[in-house]
Amino acid sequence: MSLQDVAVIGVGMTRFGVFPDRSNSDLAREAGLAALADAGISFREVGEAFVGYIFGGAMTGIRAMKEFGLTGLPATHVENASATGLVAFRDAVWAVASGRCEVAMALGFDKMSAAVMGGSRGPGRDSIDSVILPAAYFSLWAMRRMHERGTRVEHFAKIAAKNWNHGALCPWSDRQPDHRITPEEVLASRKIAEPVTAMMTCPVDDGAACAIVASKALARRLHPGRPVVGVLASVLQTETYSPGHTFLGPVVGPATMSRDTAHAAYEQAGIGPEDVSVAFCHDAFANEELEYYELLGFCPEGDAEKLVEEGATALGGRIPFNTDGGLIARGHPGGPTGLAQIHETALQLRGEAGERQVEGARIGLAHLVGGGSVCTVSLLARE
Amino acid sequence: MTSKPRVPIEPGYFTVPSGPDEVPLLLGSRCRSCGEHFFPRRVVCARCLEKNTEDVTLGPRGTLYTWTYVHFPLFGAKRADAGGYAVGQIDLPEGPRVQSVLSGGPTAFRIGMEMELDLETLRENAKGDEIVIFRFRPLEEAA
Repeated sequence: MSLQDVAVIGVGMTRFGVFPDRSNSDLAREAGLAALADAGISFREVGEAFVGYIFGGAMTGIRAMKEFGLTGLPATHVENASATGLVAFRDAVWAVASGRCEVAMALGFDKMSAAVMGGSRGPGRDSIDSVILPAAYFSLWAMRRMHERGTRVEHFAKIAAKNWNHGALCPWSDRQPDHRITPEEVLASRKIAEPVTAMMTCPVDDGAACAIVASKALARRLHPGRPVVGVLASVLQTETYSPGHTFLGPVVGPATMSRDTAHAAYEQAGIGPEDVSVAFCHDAFANEELEYYELLGFCPEGDAEKLVEEGATALGGRIPFNTDGGLIARGHPGGPTGLAQIHETALQLRGEAGERQVEGARIGLAHLVGGGSVCTVSLLARE
Repeated sequence: MTSKPRVPIEPGYFTVPSGPDEVPLLLGSRCRSCGEHFFPRRVVCARCLEKNTEDVTLGPRGTLYTWTYVHFPLFGAKRADAGGYAVGQIDLPEGPRVQSVLSGGPTAFRIGMEMELDLETLRENAKGDEIVIFRFRPLEEAA
C-alpha cells in the first residue's frame, strides 16, 4: 500500500449550527453512522479511529466512539485547533497507507457554542499572551494587504457574499440565507475589527463530520460503478522560522506557511494548482480566502483581487472555492470542520453535489490552518 | 508625590522604569552563534538551533507594520460599554515583530508610523502595587 492506493470510501456529517440540546456523542453518532452507511460497511470493519475535537475535555473522543459499539479498536485523540478534522483525516489516510489497518475512521465533532457561550473566552488583559481575538488577528492581515496591494474592503465583502450564497445551496450549511446576499449587505453588517464586518466572519457552531478511508480496491468492491475518490496527498506542517516571526500573541503564524504546505502537497501528488477543479480553505474571515488564492497557487502574487472581480472562485467560475459555503456559511465548529471539507470534496468528485456541482470536478483541494500554528492540505482525485 | 510600586503582569517580558526619565524596554534574546534577535526571551535559537543565546533589551521604538481597531471591549473587560481597542504589530530595529495592544482611538494609526513602548496599568494587587503590561503608542499624528 502507498498513500495513492488510499480512497475515501464513505462520508457523513450533521448540519452545522447551534444545538443546545445535542451532546457531542449524539452529534458524533449521527455523522459516523452516516459515513459508515455511505461506505457500506459495519463499524466492526473499522481497524483504527482518529477522533478530533478541540473543546470537549479529556476522554471525550474515546467516550464518543462507544456510540458505535465496543470493538476494541485503537482510537487516538487529535487536536490541532481549527485544523483538527483535516489532521485526523491525514492520520487516518496514513494509517491505511502504512498497512497498519485496512479501514480507518476520521471523526470530528465539537460544540463551540458551549465553549464560547459558557464564558471561557480567555483571560483578557490578565495575561501577557492573550490580548487578541482571532478576528483582530486576521484583520491585521487585511489592513496590511490593503496597504500593500490597494485591496478594497469590497473585495472581502464579495468573497463573503459568495460563500453565503453557496451556503444557501447546501443542506449541511449553518447559514442558508433565503435571499441572495450582496456585498453591500455584508458591508452594512456590524463592524467587528477594522475592516472586517460580522458577515465576513464564520459563525460559532456545533456539529460532527466523519470520513472512512480504505484501499481503492475495497472502494471498488463496495460500490462498483461509483467513482472512486482517491487520495493524492495529505500534508501537515508547522511554522518555519523567518525573520520577523511573531512569537507572542498571534493566532496563526506567517501566511507563507500555507504556501509551503500547499507546495509540499502538490509535490506529493505530482500535480499543480492548474489541475485542481474545486478548493476549500480556512475562510474563517473573508480576507483570508483572498490571501489563499495566491498562497495555494491559484493566481500569481498580487492577482487575487482580479480573481475576485472576475468571480473566478464562485460556482460556475474557473476555480470554485468553498462550494458548501465554507467556514463563513457552512460553519466552523472546530473539530469537524476539516471533515466537512472532505465530505463536500467527496460529493463533488463523485458528481453528487446537486445544485453545487462543479462540472467535471476531477481534483479537490482542502486546506486549513490551525492556531499555534499549523497548516494542512489534502488533495483528492476522482478515478 | 510618591507613586505606587509597579510590577509586571508576568516577569521576564519587559522592564519597569524606576524613574520618570527612563523608558520601559522589552526583554529579548540574541543568538551568539547567528546574531538573530528574539522577543520574548528564548534559550535555543529558532533560526540556527544552537543553545547559545544571551539576554538583551529591545526597543523602545519601532515602526507599525499593521494594525486594527476592534469594536468590542477587550476580553476580560468587565463593562460592556468599555469601548474598543487597537492592536498592532511593531517591527523593532533589531528584527523581531511584536504584537501588542496600542494606545489610541480608531483614527490614531498609520502603517509605517513610529511607535514607542509604553506601560498600561491594569489594576492594583492586594499590596497596593500597580500591575502593568506593555503596549505601544504612536509618536506622531496619523494624518
